[in-house]
Amino acid sequence: MITTAVPSTPGKPAAESRWAVETHGLTKRFGANIAVNGVELLVPWGSAFGYLGPNGAGKTTLIRVLLGLTRADAGTMSLLGYPVPRHRDAALARVGAIVDEPRFHRHLTGRQNLRLLAAAREPAARDRIGPALERVGLAHRGDDRVSEYSMGMRQRLGVAACLLGDPQLLLLDEPMNGLDPAGMAEMRDMILSMVAEGRTVVLSSHLLDEVERTCDAVAIVDRGSIVQQGPISELLAGAPIALDVECSEPGRARALLAGTTLGARIKAVPSALGLEITLPAGTGRDVIAEINRVLVEGGISIYRLQPVQTSLESWFLQVTSRVGDPE
Amino acid sequence: MTTRPAHGADQARQLAPTGHSRDRRGSPIPTAGMIATRVMELRKRRGLMIALIVVNIGFPAVFLFIRLLAHAFAPYANPPAGGDMIFVVLVAGFLPTFGFIVATTVGCTAGSRDLTEGMFRHLVVTGRSRLALYLARIPAGLAIVVPMVAIGYTIVCAVCVFAAPTFIDDSNVNIPPGLSRAGFENWARDRAEPIICLLPYNGHIPGNVACPGPPPWSKSAVTPSQPAPARLEALAVKIASQGYHGYTQILRRPSISLMIKAGLWIELEAAVGFVLGLGLASLMGQRLVPVILLIVLQMILTPILSAVDIPHLQDLQRSFVGLAVAHLEPSGLPIAFGLPGVAGGLARPGAAQSLLPESATQALCVIIVWLSCWTILGAWRMMTRDA
Repeated sequence: MITTAVPSTPGKPAAESRWAVETHGLTKRFGANIAVNGVELLVPWGSAFGYLGPNGAGKTTLIRVLLGLTRADAGTMSLLGYPVPRHRDAALARVGAIVDEPRFHRHLTGRQNLRLLAAAREPAARDRIGPALERVGLAHRGDDRVSEYSMGMRQRLGVAACLLGDPQLLLLDEPMNGLDPAGMAEMRDMILSMVAEGRTVVLSSHLLDEVERTCDAVAIVDRGSIVQQGPISELLAGAPIALDVECSEPGRARALLAGTTLGARIKAVPSALGLEITLPAGTGRDVIAEINRVLVEGGISIYRLQPVQTSLESWFLQVTSRVGDPE
Repeated sequence: MTTRPAHGADQARQLAPTGHSRDRRGSPIPTAGMIATRVMELRKRRGLMIALIVVNIGFPAVFLFIRLLAHAFAPYANPPAGGDMIFVVLVAGFLPTFGFIVATTVGCTAGSRDLTEGMFRHLVVTGRSRLALYLARIPAGLAIVVPMVAIGYTIVCAVCVFAAPTFIDDSNVNIPPGLSRAGFENWARDRAEPIICLLPYNGHIPGNVACPGPPPWSKSAVTPSQPAPARLEALAVKIASQGYHGYTQILRRPSISLMIKAGLWIELEAAVGFVLGLGLASLMGQRLVPVILLIVLQMILTPILSAVDIPHLQDLQRSFVGLAVAHLEPSGLPIAFGLPGVAGGLARPGAAQSLLPESATQALCVIIVWLSCWTILGAWRMMTRDA
């Protein structure tokens, strides 16, 4: 049973809320399967926020719950400061969303589909149809039937549908699906431009590279629960540092390091060209210099020594424990 | 780890809504725009519209056109295209049955296609009340069905009125319409032989009246000695006088009041079909099965229930919407459903059977309950369904 006692009081102006999306203990079950498990999500205003997770992690279900497409079993949530579902109409008035694959009436044109949706919004939404089609690059195909659209065009039409309400918050579920590289780049630019206008974009995706390029902050979800969330830079700063060492005699180099005080703090494994050393998060540059000194003084020839920035992908795989998991 | 409000937060807050939306999108009452776009959505379904036009307008129009042509080219072999009898045949049989089926199909389409085509989700995300989304479909669908049925019906009425027979045909005697009693008697006096030989008469006819020709000129014995013309004329006037009431009951063309009542009744049948289809399809989330179920209800179950007499379940029989609608059929039309009726009812003029006795108020209540229940069920499912 949903309770709506969130920090924002009902009817209170949304701008007084600290978060564009806020959930506490949000849970959704399908029989014995818990799709969303006590999710605590905080999405800052005006940010591009990535909601990351492997397939089946509960990303789409969370968005469906937020939008009132399905009911939550427990927890509280608010959108734009409005507690939902109690003030769902007020909240959704300024929310645009793509959930799953965007589907429309195939016998209608793109413009007619948007007219249908605009009629369910405020009267001004009708005036936004043209600009929305223009913005997503569908103005010249707006009068074609949707049955003639490609998947990418339907995605764009989905974004145009989102823009009809002049949304403050966009919830985009896998918006890059079906897009070619150029389409993905355009979509990325569109998202960034919307964030630049002050809108909040929540981007649910399993495309880590796209999220890393687009979003300021992320939440990682796994098996229905949020594992980590925060700004990407902060999250990656807390990740271990990898050090690629190209050297002679990798075996002896590894033994040398193990025999020093560094041995307890680092993990060295042989790689194709030398050693791959993993250092704990927050390790200073002096430790890297110390490794270099030990190896050189031990008679090992160092050809290259390079710290490697942990990518969102490798960090994602670490925190979701999905390395080697079968899909 | 927690997230911090981003740099764009201030700008975002300036753009944020400062209160509830002013378009009352939580209201269950649909806006005119919602209804209009819903009409557009249905109107653009080419296949559905073609079926609607063909069945409601095309079939009766083609049928009457062929009759018009046939009469124009061979007027003695083919009766006029219109007239009261043709009106009765079309209005009591064809139009309500096919109107119901087509209206049901439109209702089931309106009730299910948003779901199956993935549009329902987009509509829910607008924040608009789901009840309003449902209710918008009722006037929108009726705005399609009602005019379409009306056009087909108007064509039928026009042909039946303007291409009606010039004479009233009573027992193979062509009688001019609109005669007064005196006029009718004078007309009969001038045509004594056919009047005596063909028109029904409850009285004694002299045995020596000559009715020449093969049957049906066989009413009386043909004898060589004819009565005096004055006696024949007097007998014809007597027969005409007796049959005048029957003559006034025979219509060359349907009366205006019958056409209005029958038109409203056909529209009621179509509206009921539409609302039932909408509710059932919304409940089931699909189109095909509800269409089949309602056709079975209307074309198989209801006629059977109208034909059989189940003494302890008569109230149950009366509670079927098809029978209730049939009870509201205007008098002057043959009774709905072409099966032998149950005993107990009073057959109306021209009716071969009767329905279970039921007052118009009862029938109206049954219809209202059916429409309300299916609307509530459809709306409830739409409000609670996962989108």
